[in-house]
Amino acid sequence: MMSQTMYKKLSQSLQLRQETVLVTITECLEHRLIGKKILLWPSKSAFDEGEIPLSLMESINLYSQPLLKKKRSGVFQFSWKGNQVECFAEYFPAPVHLIVAGAGHVGEPVASIGKMLGFYVTVIDDRPDYANLERFPIADEVICESFMHYFRDVPLTDHTYILLLTRGHKYDVLSLQELLRRKEKAAYIGMIGSRRRISGVFEQVKQEFPDETFDHIYTPVGLDIGAETPSEIAVSIMAEILKIKNGASGNSLSSKIRRYAKMGFHEGAVK
Amino acid sequence: MKQIDLIKRATEIKKGGEKAALATIIKTRGSTPRKTGSRMIIFPCGKIEGTIGGGCGEAEVIETAFKVIQTNKPEKQTVDLTRGLFYEDGGICGGIMDVFIEPLS
Repeated sequence: MMSQTMYKKLSQSLQLRQETVLVTITECLEHRLIGKKILLWPSKSAFDEGEIPLSLMESINLYSQPLLKKKRSGVFQFSWKGNQVECFAEYFPAPVHLIVAGAGHVGEPVASIGKMLGFYVTVIDDRPDYANLERFPIADEVICESFMHYFRDVPLTDHTYILLLTRGHKYDVLSLQELLRRKEKAAYIGMIGSRRRISGVFEQVKQEFPDETFDHIYTPVGLDIGAETPSEIAVSIMAEILKIKNGASGNSLSSKIRRYAKMGFHEGAVK
Repeated sequence: MKQIDLIKRATEIKKGGEKAALATIIKTRGSTPRKTGSRMIIFPCGKIEGTIGGGCGEAEVIETAFKVIQTNKPEKQTVDLTRGLFYEDGGICGGIMDVFIEPLS
């Protein structure tokens, strides 16, 4: 079984949103090696507790990399010093990152629901009275910093979901511009605001970024469920994020059935 | 429950010096109640935390876990859920799974 040190290493690595593989030796002629563990990363760096011979470490690293690429757990066997070794490699995906810019009324329920759904939640605001752990005890990270400064350097990947929910529209727009200047792209950028205000923003932003497709920008934010209160808006926003993340339609599941129901549930009758 | 939670729990038990074993599904074929990476902690008194699917298969693993706790040596066990197919007491999944059981000490 792994030590506290190794567990800390694994959880820290996931906190830093690095995908990680945990390898356990499950069969080996040298019995003392059975159960020994190694952490591996896509960079091919490895961590063990100094009990595994170097040549064995190298083989394990080599055979684990394809699973890491496929983002899958699995068992693999290979020959080491003429004997068969079996390992179980368990893949730990990097948690999906939800960045909530704006620690106000909507930010609160969004952070809670985001956490409930298993996102790694960061809350960012430039006001110390708002961006603090007392207001967001469940958040993984609460950052008090200027929005523009934060969005200049924050790591962006296809696992990053960003919500611009700041107190003033100008901060949302400035953050958006900062994000559009970045080479890396987030999976989703949602910006709150009324339709009228947003169309103005788009005209402005389009001039500065003529090549931008705006495919990953969602504004007004959320699904159309008639949300009014902060909590309702949070549901609408998080439903949209799940829809994008899971590549689904966002329609009622019953809508398809209704079509069949009209035909007396005869699927074959669909033309 | 998150994938990492039972690992965390296992390291805590290990640190506390309590005897127990950790079972992990490392491979499945066919249809099994839980997937690769599912875990269960077994205590000598028979108490368990987490599940690898319940039923007879889990009971077999618990038996082996007692042995693992005693000998302090890890074991690999293949659990065949196809045998119970015509019985009423679970085991109707029809798959086979490999489980790795290691002592927490």
